[in-house]
Amino acid sequence: MSGQHRPQGGTVHAIRLAFGISVLGAVEFAVAYGLGGNTQLLGVGLAVAFGGLCVGLWLWGRRLLPMGGFVEQRPPLAATQQDVTLLAHAIGGPESPVRRRGLLGMFALAVGTVGLALLFPARSLLSFRKPDPDVALDHTAWRFGGLRLVTPEGVPVRAADVGAETIQIVVPEGHTRDGDVPAFVVRVDPANLITPPPGGMVGGGLVAYSLLCTHAGCPVALYQQTTGRMLCPCHQSTFDLFNAATPVAGPAARPLPGLPIVVDADGYLRASGDFTSPPGPGYWSRP
Amino acid sequence: MITRWVYRTVDARLGTTSVARTALAKVFPDQWTFMFGEIALYSFLALVLTGVYLTLFFDPTSAQTVYDGAYQPLSGSTVSGAYASAVALSYDVRAGLLIRQAHHWAALLFVGAIVLHLLRIFVTGAFRKPREINWVIGVTMLTLALLNGFTGYSMPDDLLSGTGLRIIYSVVLSVPVVGAWLAQLAFGGEFPSDATLPRLFVTHVLIVPAVFAALISAHLAIIIRQKHTQFPGPGRRERNVVGSRLWPAYTVRTLSLAAGVFAVVFALGGLVQINPVWIYGPFSPAKATSPAQPDWYVAWGDGALRLFPAVEFHVFGHLVPSPFLPAVGVGTVTFLVLYAWPWLDRWRTGDRASRHLLQPPRQRPGRIAVAAWAVTFFAVLLVAAVDDIIARLFAIPVTGILRTLQVLVLTLPFVVAAVAYTVARALRGGTARSVGELTAEELRGGLTASPGPVELGDDDPVALDQLITLWRNPDDTWRWRWTGPDDEKLASNEAYLSRDEAVAAASVAFVGVPIDQTEPPPDVVLPPPTGHGRAARVAAGAAWVAMAIVAWRRSRKDRP
Amino acid sequence: MTHDPLRPSAPRRAAWLLLATAASIGVLGPASAAAPTLSTRSAPSPSGTSMPSTAPSGAATPPSGPGAALYGQNCASCHGDRGGGTAYGPALTEVGPADVDFQLSTGRMPLRQERYSDVHRDPAFAPDEIAALVQYVASFPPGGGPTVPVVRPGDPRTGRELYLTYCSACHSAAGIGATLTNGRFAPSLMRATPTQVGEAVRVGPGLMPAFPSGVLSDADVDALAAYVDVLQSGPAELDRGGWSLGRLGPFTEGAVAWVLGLGALVLLARRLGSRAR
Repeated sequence: MSGQHRPQGGTVHAIRLAFGISVLGAVEFAVAYGLGGNTQLLGVGLAVAFGGLCVGLWLWGRRLLPMGGFVEQRPPLAATQQDVTLLAHAIGGPESPVRRRGLLGMFALAVGTVGLALLFPARSLLSFRKPDPDVALDHTAWRFGGLRLVTPEGVPVRAADVGAETIQIVVPEGHTRDGDVPAFVVRVDPANLITPPPGGMVGGGLVAYSLLCTHAGCPVALYQQTTGRMLCPCHQSTFDLFNAATPVAGPAARPLPGLPIVVDADGYLRASGDFTSPPGPGYWSRP
Repeated sequence: MITRWVYRTVDARLGTTSVARTALAKVFPDQWTFMFGEIALYSFLALVLTGVYLTLFFDPTSAQTVYDGAYQPLSGSTVSGAYASAVALSYDVRAGLLIRQAHHWAALLFVGAIVLHLLRIFVTGAFRKPREINWVIGVTMLTLALLNGFTGYSMPDDLLSGTGLRIIYSVVLSVPVVGAWLAQLAFGGEFPSDATLPRLFVTHVLIVPAVFAALISAHLAIIIRQKHTQFPGPGRRERNVVGSRLWPAYTVRTLSLAAGVFAVVFALGGLVQINPVWIYGPFSPAKATSPAQPDWYVAWGDGALRLFPAVEFHVFGHLVPSPFLPAVGVGTVTFLVLYAWPWLDRWRTGDRASRHLLQPPRQRPGRIAVAAWAVTFFAVLLVAAVDDIIARLFAIPVTGILRTLQVLVLTLPFVVAAVAYTVARALRGGTARSVGELTAEELRGGLTASPGPVELGDDDPVALDQLITLWRNPDDTWRWRWTGPDDEKLASNEAYLSRDEAVAAASVAFVGVPIDQTEPPPDVVLPPPTGHGRAARVAAGAAWVAMAIVAWRRSRKDRP
Repeated sequence: MTHDPLRPSAPRRAAWLLLATAASIGVLGPASAAAPTLSTRSAPSPSGTSMPSTAPSGAATPPSGPGAALYGQNCASCHGDRGGGTAYGPALTEVGPADVDFQLSTGRMPLRQERYSDVHRDPAFAPDEIAALVQYVASFPPGGGPTVPVVRPGDPRTGRELYLTYCSACHSAAGIGATLTNGRFAPSLMRATPTQVGEAVRVGPGLMPAFPSGVLSDADVDALAAYVDVLQSGPAELDRGGWSLGRLGPFTEGAVAWVLGLGALVLLARRLGSRAR
């Protein structure tokens, strides 16, 4: 396609320039890599390298080459009756396995059985050594009773540490990485309580609840100290600590489960049992 | 010379010539919206290339390790291997951050391009028979893209993605009857489990990409087999495709697009920070960060979770938790409708014929209305996923925004759909070529008049002012050219070895149009006659050298 | 060959589209810039606020001097003549110097509008005036409350871990703050000085819980302040990936992918392909 009728010199120059810029970009990329690999310089290098190619090819495609002008035939996809008949003969000829109905049935049975048998190892994806998942969801490590409340870093928490206007996120000692155990301890003014906390109260206003939102399980960790509310960062469910942590806004439908706590002889907080109900999101077999 | 030798070597062993000749002559429609799928294809290529690089450095394990690298605030901390290697990729692997960010940006572009492509297919009716299979493959690839996007987002084991993973775990858990088992299958145990990361990893880098490769191959093979759709226009028939040939015109343009995709991916990857996992910190079940959003392509689910009221109910004494309907329900219904759409559309129109000519969007106002409804619905859900950021930017209570959006998600889609429906009908009934040219009268007409669907003719009746000219080239091949009523010209895409072949092709592409054998038309470039002897070649070489010398002298003379 | 690929108006239209894209980006940009708390640019710390911690704890301070005058002009109308509080403002008799210094040095007090603001602003008073006011308010009997903490250089590594446990839920892991209920929000920490970080931890201003030394030791506070300083560092150190998008997370990233990325690619496709059907 020469197309002498259109002046092309400028376009050819521009394309050459674009490819030249592309070379410069690639070189810049290599140099930037050699000099320590600053992300921005590397990115600019590759962007210029590919951008030059893009512009050059664009000019080439739009200015030097024709657009359209060709037609290709599209024969019908469906075959003729004769063709179909020929295929049927080819498949179902006299020696064809298709005619051996008995053998074919047995063959299908064998293949099916082999296939089913091969599916068995897939069951291992649901570990045999773990309890059934719907049972495991019902309880947490707190059920072992008497576990000390420790910070996520593992420091035991004393009742005296939890001041009037503070919150302490806690996990059971020795189970700091479990997903369903996180809880928090706050001190509320007993005078503000509308409903007694489900997990009880110790030390003149210390209460503990599950940290996990009953909607989708995010940590309800935004504590608004003056209003006594806990807010979930994921979907903005809000729980009222003065009212047994019932949800007051957002998509959560159930209150946060309480954690029964006691103060031991050394002044440390311990859980006397599991949450008052399974923590976190709901599930089919939830009691 | 060498290329010719290489080609002959290959051809002697594989017999590629006729296939290659046909392939290079394949006709691609020129309309620009046909390139959305290619944007997705090249994004996928970018994903594979950058992704392979990342696998060489990423360590998909929750086993605790000590990060000891250039990111000072984390140096010496005990974190999961996945998190440590993700931070190392960002700080300690040279060019690692560029590749990581480019990979993430490419993923965002990939899903976006798929959505654009899907919308184009949807509003033009390109999913109709015989393309239902490719529609189903395409929708499957969209689901896989969402899945792989999410697994990729979750793998670095940072606090933000861990929070997202926890939400998905809760969503899976909310499925009635099998929820807990499904969750264990996907996550390998109660969240967070040590088995989760390896499962995510294998899914992300092996299973889904392999399925993707197979589906993309099938998608493209089917396109090649069925050939492209095209909009109605001069010379365009159900039995042909009009456009540019793959070689050279379309190749150059599509390579430009490929380079453009890579340029955008690396420009964003180098200049715009994405998912700074080192800032988010490692995941821990007791820690949280806010604001917390997922990537845009799953954010509609997050928005639905926020907007749905706090409703839980019991079925036979079993709990159906509140995330089930908004997250599982909306997603399932959406994809079921998408999968079923070709058949729903056929059921509505009763059209059972194969259709290769597209319907201009205005021709089906109902379909436009559905598309507008869906786009608006999901857009509102996306906005809902950032209600906290909006509340922050404008210092207004988040509950107020939530209430507004709850109303909007139920009303706005219908309003937009009604507007789109009216505009489409006005365009169909009037003469305006675009929305901007619509007159008030035409708009009123869109509201009231109800002209039935204007079905464009299957193949327009043989017009006497169409003609196909057929000629023999000097090299003994045959070609033809269609001339339309307004003197439009379309050349046959390939040269045929025999007259019969050429006639057969022409009479498929243009049924019943008279064929007239003539001399080669003056304005076509003809291949030279075959059979140059050695002497001719030597002469050509000599002429070339002579011309080069002349040109060189000229250029010297021109120099000032 | 039937249609001319380049209509004369095409380049101009492309330029217009580019402009429109730039403008829509612009909407994103200023929106984050308009809310000063969302800006990740680290402001130079007003050095004056890191004042001596020897805030006198009450009794012997003379109830006169520059503090008294400033108090009378700016504070007494709401908080009462001797900090007893009125219907318009709470009592200041037991809040402690840390709280007073925090509220004044972050520009939250005196109020500039009717509602208490969670936004960190430029202080209304010079550092020495703030010091005088703190001293004067501390003289109100009975006194008490947290004193202005002395924040020393700490270990950002410990600080990072503590920050993610105690702070990131509200202030965001990226330090940009987050939304609470009723239009309130946890502010961005991008302008907080080490002393202000320490004060906020001890006092719990606004909706924030207080963290006494039983929960976070002085060394912990030093570490936290050191990590907040890391968060305040800009493109060269922390945001090494490039434009931080206000560290707002995946949604802004998605917006950029659509507007900049797909916007550019769709424009490119439009220029590569034919406009005509």
